[in-house]
Amino acid sequence: MTAPLFTFRGIEISFGEIKILRNLELSLYPAKCILLTGKNGSGKSTLLKIMAGLEKPAKAQIEISGKSHSWKQAMRSIQKEIIYLHQQPFLFSGTVESNVAYGLRFTSLNREQRKESVKKALEWANLSALAKRQAHTLSGGVQQRVAFTRAWILEPKVLLLDEPVSNMDQESREQACLLMQRMKSAGMSIVITSHVPQYFDGLADIQYELTEGQLVQ
Amino acid sequence: MNGLLLTTQQALQLLLLGDAELWTIVLLSFSVSLKAIIFTTPLALLLAFLLNHGNIPGSRIILAFFNSLLSVPTVVVGLFLYVLLTRQGPFGDLKLLFTHSAMVIGQMILCFPVLVALGYAAIQAADKRVWETARTLGAPTWFTILTIFYEVRFGLLAAVLTGFGRIISEVGISMMVGGNIMGYTRNITTAIALETSKGDFAQGIALGIVLLALSFLLTAFLSYIQGKKRVTT
Repeated sequence: MTAPLFTFRGIEISFGEIKILRNLELSLYPAKCILLTGKNGSGKSTLLKIMAGLEKPAKAQIEISGKSHSWKQAMRSIQKEIIYLHQQPFLFSGTVESNVAYGLRFTSLNREQRKESVKKALEWANLSALAKRQAHTLSGGVQQRVAFTRAWILEPKVLLLDEPVSNMDQESREQACLLMQRMKSAGMSIVITSHVPQYFDGLADIQYELTEGQLVQ
Repeated sequence: MNGLLLTTQQALQLLLLGDAELWTIVLLSFSVSLKAIIFTTPLALLLAFLLNHGNIPGSRIILAFFNSLLSVPTVVVGLFLYVLLTRQGPFGDLKLLFTHSAMVIGQMILCFPVLVALGYAAIQAADKRVWETARTLGAPTWFTILTIFYEVRFGLLAAVLTGFGRIISEVGISMMVGGNIMGYTRNITTAIALETSKGDFAQGIALGIVLLALSFLLTAFLSYIQGKKRVTT
């Protein structure tokens, strides 16, 4: 296996008296998909949010290219490489096109390049026909595809997907899995949480169960 | 009854024929209140945001303080400001008493708690995922704040309109620190008080019609945007 992109070590977090994650370790590899399972409240979403820099852990170290950094220090440089997607994605008020373009404002691309990028991304996700539709009027499955596209366009190294296909019908689920497969093939490291591992049979390379704050393979 | 009808008819004539004195008063009122709301809004909404997301110690107490100021009598604010601005007061050297600026400052003090309290409620109603989504997509903090403001824009607009309604119709501050000087600090509410005391009801009623029309417009606009919000969510 190639060298990991990032290795998260010693992740710990408690909510009140309850320890949710205990000295947890996880390595992310390019073009690999990790599937996390576990009971409700086991800390799957919390783990993803810590890895995305959205939740502050009590303790955590991140190893990048063999060098260890504190969570806070590492997040300054790698947060832009990691994108987290909610179980039910939040789409901003506006069109599909404006949602997909949201993160490009913070890149070095100029207006024309951004426009071109959005066009390609919409084609990639087969969303071109919906470009001008108000995002809130779309079905859950299509909203999830818009959220994937909004993440994909930024070319992150890591995608963290929290229950990405829950509450989807079979057709939407297949379309979502196809997009995830294409993102993985493009070299992205993907971490998925799910209660139903079978949905990701052809996609997941490693499966862990999060139980009592630890990952068990 | 005939007297009231006749006076109302005279009031409408004053309005429709563009009585210069009357419209000067109306324009001055709007000028003062618009300045006050424009200067106050950014600071008040930023504070409302910080009270929501800023982990400020004692934020609940601060919010309770602003909530309690929502119904503060305008004459109390006027008195407080008068004491500060009077020649013997701590800011007497600024010579702001009985000026347009004093009225703007007074109205800013009056609408600040309204904007903080209602702005807080609007921001609190924002979906938590807005912040997380904007951050994970690379938005810097300032842009994330703007994104949240945009997502709750209808609630924030309602807060601003309510604040504007509160200050355009206040009389205590304008009377005490403005001094009701014609062409300089006389606004709609102080003019109504003065004309009524002189027995000139026509101009008082005309100005009252302007205030009522404004109140109706604000309420109608609020209902419209709240209806629009229901449609878009």
